[in-house]
Amino acid sequence: MQRAVGSLPLGPALRARLAAAGFQTAQELLDTGPCGLSREIGISKEEALEALQVVRQECSGDAARTAGGAGTTRKCTALELLEEEQAQGFIITFCSALDNILGGGVQLTKITEVCGAPGVGKTQLCMQLAVDVQIPECFGGVCGEAVFIDTEGSFMVDRVADIAAACVQHCQLIAETHQEEDHQKALETFSLESILSHIYYFRCRDYIELLAQVYLLPDFLSEHSKVRLVVIDGIAFPFRHDFEDLSLRTRLLNGLAQQLIIIANDHKSAVVLTNQMTTRIGQSQSTLVPALGESWGHAATVRLIFHWDKSQRLATLYKSPSQKESTIPYTITPHGFRDVQPPAVTQNTESTEMNPRKRPRREEEK
Amino acid sequence: MVVLRAGLCPGLTEEMIQVLRANGVRTVVDFVSSDLEDVSQKCSLSYKALVAVRRVLLAQFSAFPANGADLYEELKSSTAILPTRSPSLDQLLDSGLYTGEVTELMGAPGSGKTQVCLSIAASVSLGLKQHVLFLDSTGGFTASRLYQMLQAQAEDEEEQLEALQRIQVARVFDVYEMLSALQEVRDRLSQQAVSCTGPLKTVLIDSVSAVIHPLLGGRQSEGLAIMMQLARELKMLAKEFSLAVVVTNQVTRDSSTGLLKPALGRSWSFVPSTRVLLESKGAPWEEVTTRRSASLAKSPRQPTGMQVELDIGNSDVQEPSPATPTEGL
Repeated sequence: MQRAVGSLPLGPALRARLAAAGFQTAQELLDTGPCGLSREIGISKEEALEALQVVRQECSGDAARTAGGAGTTRKCTALELLEEEQAQGFIITFCSALDNILGGGVQLTKITEVCGAPGVGKTQLCMQLAVDVQIPECFGGVCGEAVFIDTEGSFMVDRVADIAAACVQHCQLIAETHQEEDHQKALETFSLESILSHIYYFRCRDYIELLAQVYLLPDFLSEHSKVRLVVIDGIAFPFRHDFEDLSLRTRLLNGLAQQLIIIANDHKSAVVLTNQMTTRIGQSQSTLVPALGESWGHAATVRLIFHWDKSQRLATLYKSPSQKESTIPYTITPHGFRDVQPPAVTQNTESTEMNPRKRPRREEEK
Repeated sequence: MVVLRAGLCPGLTEEMIQVLRANGVRTVVDFVSSDLEDVSQKCSLSYKALVAVRRVLLAQFSAFPANGADLYEELKSSTAILPTRSPSLDQLLDSGLYTGEVTELMGAPGSGKTQVCLSIAASVSLGLKQHVLFLDSTGGFTASRLYQMLQAQAEDEEEQLEALQRIQVARVFDVYEMLSALQEVRDRLSQQAVSCTGPLKTVLIDSVSAVIHPLLGGRQSEGLAIMMQLARELKMLAKEFSLAVVVTNQVTRDSSTGLLKPALGRSWSFVPSTRVLLESKGAPWEEVTTRRSASLAKSPRQPTGMQVELDIGNSDVQEPSPATPTEGL
């Protein structure tokens, strides 16, 4: 293997010693063997053995991939990815306008960031999504579980219970209008208790707890493989107060972003983050921009900004790899996150975006 | 700094190496630069043998000067220019992407870097029928958007599906994974395995700063070392195998002046030969628009400061229809 020694994941002190001793490629290291290596560089035999194991793993991984084996890389052609994406579901938000601009709902395997001023509805959306991810597949959901990481303490269980009850009622109405067996069977397991029991709640009080929780999350997710949504409500809060070293903050945030995208990709789940807003003071005017700085803007794949327009709440899709930028109004009702109702219409006409996999169903008004 | 080892060249035996090492001559550089008479006296080795070994080592390890005319001929025969199907972008890049060079796209979040990368991949795969490798480190690669772009460029569904198959996507979220992926490309190209790669001409990396940014900064120079290792890999790939390498970079805010500047610092700014800055026209989210302006920040062939307009609209990256590309200096 002609892999350069500088590109292997070894510690910096070890790498410096290897460079000083004149080793250039991984093959030379493997040829020398642990005893020769420990003699040449002056490290203990155990350390030399460990280093060689790492090198061997890297090189065998390379060889497997060159020979066309699967390995652990996430490599495929664009055609396979397209088929995968088309078969994937979305997590609907019960607000059809928002689902439309997002291209069907919150996408799995991507990081979505929701920014907004205080009180505009970010936590409401998170709670709505934690309930919506559990909708059974026959009703157009992804039938998964949710992980809710709370840093601000704004998770109200009774509110989630209200949202869940409204969602169950909605599904019951659909089941009554279209009498089908799988609907009835799904409804048996889709109840208030089951929804609440499948939301895994973590409370993190400062940034160290948050980082630790995110690093422990892959193990948790491999045990609970049905999780399809990870919500971090308030990623800005622990990083904004009490942080002197700003460059350290940028590094930690970037590392966190990479960790989250790995989680989203490996476990096929959606990651939703909420961010605060801060004021940028310009020459003539000041604007509200998302907090945590410029480099954090690159972390999320999809960015939604919630803002007020007099007394109307608006959502703007600001960054997306596949959808155009647009703005839509939404509202928050006792049932949760909903569309703005046009004035002259009877009650109970929430038109949800049905999953394109299922044949189109028209909801009849009661 | 290659260590002297038995068998490096005929005449260099194990005993010789032990004696030389005892006298402080460990590497090839030490051997070649030392006074051989002195060494032969101290180590009691034959002067003729040492001179012969030195001649062989020099022949093996030194670089040979090349004639400028030969270099030019080689460049003419190995460089290709890949058009990007967007006339204004081609104008900015001096008729297209040059193989053998690293081109960088930088911009704020939402400025269209991923869109431009996708459109380059689509045009190379569909128009030139060549293979493309896309290394995605941000999760921003959406195959359905790529399909949309292909559908706008070609009518035949067969062609679209073939074009999709020619684009290989690897998701690398860590700098070591990225280095392994590049190493794998190098191994495959040097073995000339035609099975899955085919004629690979373009490597797109979106984005390179996402994997390196977490390592930079602080008082550790570790991140800088890895970044330079990655830079070396990219340049070697581009030069040795005549590939066009396109990378995307982020922008950060300069703390002292408040202006936007490219991320990864000064050391990285020497790596790409061409740098294009993408900006969105208009204020943040008050007016929604798909127009972007691309300006040339660094180029070996064109005057910097050239600016063109792009429309990363619904179907394609194209120049906006009524406006003409503006040149500003």
